[in-house]
Amino acid sequence: MRDCYLGVDIGSISTKGVIIDDRNKIISSAYIWTEGNPIEAVRKLINILKKRMPRGYKVKGIGTTGSARKLIGLMLGANSVKNEITAHAVGTMAFHPDVRTILEIGGQDSKIILIKNGIITNYAMNTLCAAGTGAFLSSQAKRLGIDVEDFGEFALKSKNPVKIAARCTVFAESDLVHKAQVGYPKEDIIAGLCKSVVINYLNNVGKGKKIESPIVFQGGVSKNVGVIKYFKEVLGCDVIVDDNGHLMGAIGAAILSRKNKTGEEYELQTKNIKFETKGFECGGCANNCELLRIYKNGKLIDSWGSKCGKY
Amino acid sequence: MDKVGIPRGLFYYYYGDLWKCFFDKLGVSYIVSPNTNKEIMDRGIKVSNDEMCLSFKVFLGHVDYLKDKCDYILVPRISNFGISNQTCTNFLGAYDIVNNLFDVNVLNYNIDLDKRETLKKGLFKIGRELGKSFLDIKFAYLYAMDKYKEKVKKDIEINMERLNSKNTKILIVSHPYNTYDNLIGMDIVKYLNSQNVDIIYCDKFDDSITSKLSKKISHDLYFKYSKNNLGAAIYSLDKIDGILFISSFPCGPDSLANELLMRKIKKPYVNLIIDGDMSFTGIETRLESFLDVIRRNACV
Repeated sequence: MRDCYLGVDIGSISTKGVIIDDRNKIISSAYIWTEGNPIEAVRKLINILKKRMPRGYKVKGIGTTGSARKLIGLMLGANSVKNEITAHAVGTMAFHPDVRTILEIGGQDSKIILIKNGIITNYAMNTLCAAGTGAFLSSQAKRLGIDVEDFGEFALKSKNPVKIAARCTVFAESDLVHKAQVGYPKEDIIAGLCKSVVINYLNNVGKGKKIESPIVFQGGVSKNVGVIKYFKEVLGCDVIVDDNGHLMGAIGAAILSRKNKTGEEYELQTKNIKFETKGFECGGCANNCELLRIYKNGKLIDSWGSKCGKY
Repeated sequence: MDKVGIPRGLFYYYYGDLWKCFFDKLGVSYIVSPNTNKEIMDRGIKVSNDEMCLSFKVFLGHVDYLKDKCDYILVPRISNFGISNQTCTNFLGAYDIVNNLFDVNVLNYNIDLDKRETLKKGLFKIGRELGKSFLDIKFAYLYAMDKYKEKVKKDIEINMERLNSKNTKILIVSHPYNTYDNLIGMDIVKYLNSQNVDIIYCDKFDDSITSKLSKKISHDLYFKYSKNNLGAAIYSLDKIDGILFISSFPCGPDSLANELLMRKIKKPYVNLIIDGDMSFTGIETRLESFLDVIRRNACV
C-alpha cells in the first residue's frame, strides 16, 4: 500500500479535488460546480475521486482550502485547513520552482502573489468589488448569448477590440450595452471585455507591484485564451498557463496536508455521515449576530459567527 | 444636574480619557455611549449622508443613541494644529453636522491653531458653559492634562517595548477610531492576538518624532494624522515583520497617504478597507495568508 493525500479546494463557483502521491504525482482529480451547496458538491467530488483512484493507495492526509475550507475541513476531518493564497503558492511552486509571480483570477476574487527564492514576499487580493473576475465574465457571456467556455476563441478572432471602461463592473456593463447597440461586431466586444479584465486586474490588484517573470497565470479565467493573449500583450512577456492550473489550490492543500500529517489513516466515506447547517439570528443583544450552527449526525459540533463567544 | 453625553467615536479615541478626567475633577456627570454595536451602526447609517465614511456614520450613531439620554452632547470642532497640519473634514464638520441633524444641545469647543484656538481655551470654554468657576476649571484642567500626558507617555513606552520583542510584530496603520472600534477594527485586533502576534499601534508614537519622519515619504503631506501614521511606519520599518492597513470606506486622507506608503516600502503589507455589514470570513482569509507570508510558512 502506498500513501496518498487528498486536497480539496472549494471555491464560490467550482469545487476542485485531487489525490496526489508522495512525489506530487496526481493520481486522481475532479472538477465540478459548487452550485451554492459546498457540502453536496464535496460529497459528489469524493465519489468521483474514489472511482478514479487506482488500487493500492491509502489516504494519509486531507487538506482543504477555498472560501468554504472551514466547513468542509470540519466535514472531512481534515488535518490541514489553509487559506487560498498559501495553498496556491505551495501548489504552484511544486511544479514551477522558479516562479516569481502568480496571477490568479477566480470566480469571485482575484489575487497576485509575489515569490522570491521559494518564499512569498507579498500578495494582494481584490478588496471591495468583484469587477474583472470570473463571475463578471460569465454574466456578460450570458448577456451576449454565448457559452463562457467559448469566450476566448471569440476574442481571438477580433482584430480591433473595443475600448471598455474597466474600472467598475457597472460602468463596464453599460459601456458594453452601448457598444453593442451602436453596432460593433460581437467578437470585438468580447475581445474588449477580455482586455478590460486584464487592465482592471493590473490596476486594482497588481497596482504598484513589480511583476517579474516567470509568471504563472491560473484560476478559472486562465482557461480563457483571450485573457491570456491580452496578459501577454500588456505585460510584454510570456505567461505560463499550466494544464493543471485550475487544480493548483487543491494540489497545494494536499501538499500542506502531507507536511502536516499525523500518521492517521483516513477513510473517504461521506455516505453515512449526515452533515447539516442551520442559520439563526441570536438576538441576545443589539449586535444580532448571524450564527451558523453545524450538526454532524444530528449532534451540534460547532457554531460560527458569534461576536461575544456565547455560542 | 446637567449631564454631558460623550459619543464613543472619532474624537473619543484621542481625547476621551482627557475629557473623563476633566469632568470627574470638575464634578460634572457624564455618560459615554457603549461600544459600537449593530444597532448603533444602523442608527448612524440611517441618519447619515451616503458619502460619509463608515467611521463618521458610526459616530453619528453614537450621537443618535445619546440624544435623549443627556442634556448636552460633547462634539468639538477640530480644524488644524498649525500650518499643513489639517485634520480630516469629519473633524472639521462634525459640530455643524450634529447641530443640523439633531435637536440637541451641543457642548462645543474649537481647536484651530491657525486662529490661536487651543485645547486649553476650549476646555475653559466648556467649563464656563457648565457654570463652573475659573479656579475650579483651572484646577481640573491642570489635573486632567497631567493624567493625560502620563497616559500617553505610558502607552508610547508599552508600544516601544513591544517593538523590541522577538515575536512576530505587525504595525497597524489605521486611525484609532477605526482600530479600537468594536465593529470596525476590534475583530481584527482580536484575531491577531489569538494568533500570538505582537501588535504595534501607529497612534501610540511620539508626534514630534513621527511628523518629522514622515518627510522621508513626502514633504507635501497635508493631514496631521496621515503624517503621524506614515512617520510611525518609517520609525518602525526595520523592526517589524509587516504592516496592516485598515481604513474605513471611503476615507479620503487614507486613500492618498496609505497608497503612497504602500508604493514606497519593501515590507509585506495588506490593506483592509472596511464597510458596514461585512462578513469576517473574507478578512480572515486575508489576515491568515498575511501571517503565512510574514512567518514564511508558505514555502515548499
